[in-house]
Amino acid sequence: MAETIEALERRIDELRVKVREAMLSGERALASAHRASLKQAEQAWEDAVAEAAAARSGPEAPASAHRPLPAGSLLPLREQVYEALSLLQVPAAPKLIATVHEAFFGSTFPTTRVTSLKRDEERSFRTAPFARPYYICAALSADYLSQSRGLLAISTWPLELRVIGSLSPRVDFLTEAIRVAEAIERIPEPPTAARRLLERFAASIPGASGSGGGARPAAVREAAAAELTVHADADAKARRAAAERARALDGAEQLFGTTVFREMAGKAAVE
Amino acid sequence: MTGFQPGNPGRSGLDRLRGRALPKNHDARTISALAANPGCARRALLDAAGVDKQAVAAHVGYAAPFGQSQFAIARGNAFEAQVKEGGGAQLLTLLREHIDLDVSEVGYADLNDIGGNEQRELRHRHTVHVLTGADQPGRTLLDHPLLRLRVGGRPAYLEPDLIALRLDGTIHVIEIKSFAVIDGQADGSKVAAAAIQSAVYVRALRDLMAEAGADPTAVSHRTVLVAPKDFSSQPTATSLDVRKQLGVLDRQLSRIASIEDLLARYPRTLTFDLDPDDKDRPRRPKAELTAAIKQVTANYAPECLATCELCFLCREEAAGTTGALGKPVREDLGGIEYTAAALSLARGQLPTPERAEIAAQLLRAAQLREQVLGEEV
Repeated sequence: MAETIEALERRIDELRVKVREAMLSGERALASAHRASLKQAEQAWEDAVAEAAAARSGPEAPASAHRPLPAGSLLPLREQVYEALSLLQVPAAPKLIATVHEAFFGSTFPTTRVTSLKRDEERSFRTAPFARPYYICAALSADYLSQSRGLLAISTWPLELRVIGSLSPRVDFLTEAIRVAEAIERIPEPPTAARRLLERFAASIPGASGSGGGARPAAVREAAAAELTVHADADAKARRAAAERARALDGAEQLFGTTVFREMAGKAAVE
Repeated sequence: MTGFQPGNPGRSGLDRLRGRALPKNHDARTISALAANPGCARRALLDAAGVDKQAVAAHVGYAAPFGQSQFAIARGNAFEAQVKEGGGAQLLTLLREHIDLDVSEVGYADLNDIGGNEQRELRHRHTVHVLTGADQPGRTLLDHPLLRLRVGGRPAYLEPDLIALRLDGTIHVIEIKSFAVIDGQADGSKVAAAAIQSAVYVRALRDLMAEAGADPTAVSHRTVLVAPKDFSSQPTATSLDVRKQLGVLDRQLSRIASIEDLLARYPRTLTFDLDPDDKDRPRRPKAELTAAIKQVTANYAPECLATCELCFLCREEAAGTTGALGKPVREDLGGIEYTAAALSLARGQLPTPERAEIAAQLLRAAQLREQVLGEEV
């Protein structure tokens, strides 16, 4: 095992030299080919190191998932976003996704990277539709089925969940509060970041905060569920109607929103 | 108010003032600034004509480093994003308390773009539709609606941070500011500026309702100011009554509408044209432009430094007058225009009969000062 890691390190060094030489001699195509192999080698090195570390810690740490991970996850960004969104189960903004990941998965990432992630996912989908098991995609505004500003979702969710009507921001906020409370209840010793997140939710839900200022997961869950009953029916109805219309769109538009209106109105303005 | 028709003598007179430049459109800040110094003929005339004051001030050598600081803008945007996140979760908590929003009133309409389209005209039409249309259930918080106010015959587009539309039909303007409210107190001048800005939105909303055949009084004069509390980023809300500001604003807007009266006092040759060449570089002699500006009287006050591009020029011009020291000083020294005159009265110069009273006061003040500080005036 150790030898492979060392061999990989040598190979990475060699490839770096090759990339540099190709760049200096102006051979762009060759440089990018070398760069791709370099990336592969680096990934292999990361994997090997992780494997070695796992072998070293051995059988005494089988439940490593419950231990706090070191800052900076080894997972690619899209996997991390997927983890956080799967916990919330509703479309969310990059900032909340990053906070949730920090609170429950022990690592965070800059929100600016999340924004470009959606663009990459859309490009990937358009070149090879449905080639991946899931995509990080957009939420759609219920009225025009265009991209809803600043919200991310997962492509495998039902359309009803991914369209945003006028009541949906509040409904989703309350749902997020319930999901976060439930997740905290599952952990024996919730980290500070998770408790702080719950407190932030509690502050904006009537009857969720305890008298001492702290937030109990059960109280937050109940208070959010109570308010949810007020909005849930109307919201579900609006979302069903919008989802029905959205089914007429093609695959990419269903995931990343239609631009028909933008183009149409743009033309009207020119005329 | 009504706009000018093409061919209206006032309109063409204003076009002449502006010269060849394109008219500068108003925004909430410039309209607020207008109401902040209603006594200034120079500002009223230049603004009514849509003169690019920044360019004029720069050409005559009094460029003002004007505009909001980048840091202030970034901080303001971050705070606004924070209170609006999660469907305006933090705002809802405050508004439920301050304007008695019902628990069912949580609808959120994002009017920043319409189906991905950011055109102003489109956003404005959509705003009108959301506010006055009959089939608009569940719209309580309107994020960045686009309003329009006619100023001097030209439309100015205004974008309030948020409008709250209650079930009973009343509309409240919500202004989100990033200056701190510490222990229930905030900087007076900043609150005053926020109040007048809110009043501009109230005015525009009432015009919108009236145009759409709806009831303009549904727009409440009670606006809500949301700002960070103490030294935290936790928001707090304060109700502002903007009736007084609305009065000043209405007067100022009608004054622009009847700008011909003001215009008629000046020679028909008056213009603030920069005479730009084909690369947009001004060619007009500085002395000539300065002389043109000085034909129109200004009403300089230190507050102008925060609101007007021509402030440095007017301050230079007002040097030595009591007004340059601020409105309170000018009012205390009622009737005395120059500080030098006030000083000589304080030194014991024999006053004219109408100044006898203020002269006695100044003399007494000078004596007190001498007793306390041992300095002569």
